[in-house]
Amino acid sequence: MNSALQLAGIRKSFDGALALDGASFESRSGEVHALLGENGAGKSSLMNVAAGLYAPDAGSISINGAPISLSGPASARSHGIGMVHQHFKLVRPFTVAENVLLANPQPHFASGLRDIRDAIKKQVDALKFSIDPDRRIDSMTVAEQQQAEIVKVLVGGARILILDEPTAVLTDAEAVGLLEIVQRLARSGTAVVLVTHKLQDVKRYADVVTIMRGGRTVATLDPRQSTAEELTELTVGQTSALPERTPHQGGETRLNVGALTYTRADGRTMLNNTSFFVRAGEIYGIAGVSGNGQAELAEALIGAIEPSLGEIWVDGAGDIGHAGQARRREAAIAAIPADRYAYALAGSLPIQDNLAVAQIRSGRYGSVFRLDRAAMRRDAIAAVKDYDVQGVRSVKQKASLLSGGNAQKLVIAREFSLEPEVVVAHSPSRGLDARACAAVHQRLIAARERGAAIVLISEDLDEILSLSDRIGVMTRGAIVAEFERPADRQAIGRAMVDHA
Amino acid sequence: MHDILRRAEPLTSPVPASPRGFGRLTLDVRQNLPPWKQAVFVGSSLILGLAISVAILALAGIPPLTLASELAGVLTAENLRGVLIQAAPLILVGLGASVAFRIGFWNLGIEGQMIFGGIFAAAISIYDIGPPATRLILMGMAAALGGALWVLLVVFLKLRFRVNEIIATLLLNYVAMYFLFHLLYGAWQDAKTAFPQSTPFRPFERLTDIGYGVNSGLLIAIAGVLAAGWLIHLSRIGFYTRFISANPRMAKVVGVPVQTATIWIIAISGACSGLAGFVNVASQEGRLTQSYANGYVFSGVLIAFLSRNDPIVVAIVAFLIAVLFITGQTLQVFYQIPFTMVQMIEAIIVMAVASSEFLIRHRIRWIR
Repeated sequence: MNSALQLAGIRKSFDGALALDGASFESRSGEVHALLGENGAGKSSLMNVAAGLYAPDAGSISINGAPISLSGPASARSHGIGMVHQHFKLVRPFTVAENVLLANPQPHFASGLRDIRDAIKKQVDALKFSIDPDRRIDSMTVAEQQQAEIVKVLVGGARILILDEPTAVLTDAEAVGLLEIVQRLARSGTAVVLVTHKLQDVKRYADVVTIMRGGRTVATLDPRQSTAEELTELTVGQTSALPERTPHQGGETRLNVGALTYTRADGRTMLNNTSFFVRAGEIYGIAGVSGNGQAELAEALIGAIEPSLGEIWVDGAGDIGHAGQARRREAAIAAIPADRYAYALAGSLPIQDNLAVAQIRSGRYGSVFRLDRAAMRRDAIAAVKDYDVQGVRSVKQKASLLSGGNAQKLVIAREFSLEPEVVVAHSPSRGLDARACAAVHQRLIAARERGAAIVLISEDLDEILSLSDRIGVMTRGAIVAEFERPADRQAIGRAMVDHA
Repeated sequence: MHDILRRAEPLTSPVPASPRGFGRLTLDVRQNLPPWKQAVFVGSSLILGLAISVAILALAGIPPLTLASELAGVLTAENLRGVLIQAAPLILVGLGASVAFRIGFWNLGIEGQMIFGGIFAAAISIYDIGPPATRLILMGMAAALGGALWVLLVVFLKLRFRVNEIIATLLLNYVAMYFLFHLLYGAWQDAKTAFPQSTPFRPFERLTDIGYGVNSGLLIAIAGVLAAGWLIHLSRIGFYTRFISANPRMAKVVGVPVQTATIWIIAISGACSGLAGFVNVASQEGRLTQSYANGYVFSGVLIAFLSRNDPIVVAIVAFLIAVLFITGQTLQVFYQIPFTMVQMIEAIIVMAVASSEFLIRHRIRWIR
């Protein structure tokens, strides 16, 4: 097989911070080539260089053995390189066909649109996708939007397809479906690059894997010839395991969610009589296929939305579903939301402010009239150290400069500084690498040992199974089944789909 | 780490300038730029803006040298007095605008708030409320209240019905203006002159002279600057404002009292504008007139923008704008250029400084 895309000695720095330090990578036609690494290892940066988004400071790019220079994404496209980003680049109020047309301009609009629609249909049939070229992006699920992105790139004539963390936004079943399609696509002669940090996906679907660490490519090997432990060791440098569990003591009920109902502005009922309780010292996992009301449940619990009906009762604070912020804070609920930059961090503000904000009201950082910035700084430095937040040059730097895992550690540091009685964690390890993920899990277990009641909402069944004392399965806005630890994975899986 | 960067700042993917041939321009996001470099960018943009303005004035028939001597003429005692008197309301509207902009509330109703500040102050005089000794203080407080109430109407509409504050504040300026006319052509018209003005204030209802013919309006403005500086940089509510503007949804979840803080900040913004109205009616005019608030919306927005919403810088910028005003008046009188020319110069300077913002956020590189 011949080399389709070759990157050699790529260096790239951003304002002095080195993101890529002489990374090399070679992908061949007909292969699924996985690019594995922790968050911040440089996977996305390297692929952004290949897609013409970043101009490298040094290094060379070759296509089919011939050196080329890329002047931008359009020039990468003309060389047959197409990239599907983790955050989709689609115009939401446009249809699929219009989006594809926008990326692949045609000389005449009307006939161009017709041609594009035919081309889309051909690709959709070939890949056995389910999308309709005339549907608007904003009416589609995430998985369908991803299909639209892939079709967009393929209609543009891509022979090299780069997928950046494609399964991060998908459910288990959707991910399997996608990866099988991707594998078929490779067999038909496309060079596929799969940027990921999921070991199972690499083991099961990749023909070759290149591992990145600290901006360098450290190894390229055959994933079928190597064990998961070997791969983990290459990515992280060391393997970390979950701590042993002490059995649950069965404390008093701390949180009781009763008949919670929430109807969105567009009339869709997202929560429909959701009821469950969580005791002190217990982790209650909520499993389910994404889009069944988990996001709304988390938002209602952390106070981002107000439920239409029902109660959220917290020991010592009463029903807080409709309470003001002061009462909510009394309830000492820690919020670890799925979307950190939507609900947990102000990216443009300093780390120190992001850490202090939750305790401003308590007077810890000075009176109404005079803030105590020295205390903020002292606590922030201590928190960064305690929670092992990496990449902090100064606690006055913007929070948005932290990588996903470190931003999550920052959120946890703040929320746990309040000594919470109740913790609401929604996909707390989404997008994190193995080590950051283990650190997050350890923090949750430590809170459990301390006697907090923890609600863990996650689409990652492994995460739910390994952490939860009890598990509720959520379907169409309600808890339809409950399981005690140790729960049977198959039974939970059946409950997830049976009621759908 | 750089994924995050791109997510936080969406407009940053490098844009190819020319497809082939001479290489291309790339844009990189700057993570940090030292303050002195920022000052250099802003300063050079300002100089560029001024240079363009001078060129336009030269085309309008005012030689640059004359312009220089006119500007130097500001330094005469008479003109300097005019500048200091003019600076007081400009500082106050600059504060009013910048405080509101800090939480992303686009208060374009400064004129309406000034009008109601003036009306409330005049009401104290007309209905003869309170003893003469405290009359001025009472008028000032009434003016602040008037300005605050007028803008709080919009805050209510925004928080309760999600009415866009840009439209609401702007259009309420006209409502305020016609209400003022209603008073001046009706109940509050000066019976002696039959002009659309109120009866003149009594001597103890006018701002006192603090020397050189400058009235105590300037002291009110300086006190306002200090108070706003404390509010923004040192107080708890100032800390909250940063989160409300950076990420309001997140602010709510982490327990920032978003609604309460918003109401307070906007009330303070309206109060500043109301005080500006009071300063104008209780100093030079000495009575309620039809036009004491004219043109202040634009000046307030300009000052807030140039000062990047920092109260201390507001004072400096307002002073410079006052110089521009007074020079403009002289040019108007001696060279017959229209006052719109002065407004055009203001606009050019805004655009120049706005473009420097882009250079501060991005680095432009030429790659072959």
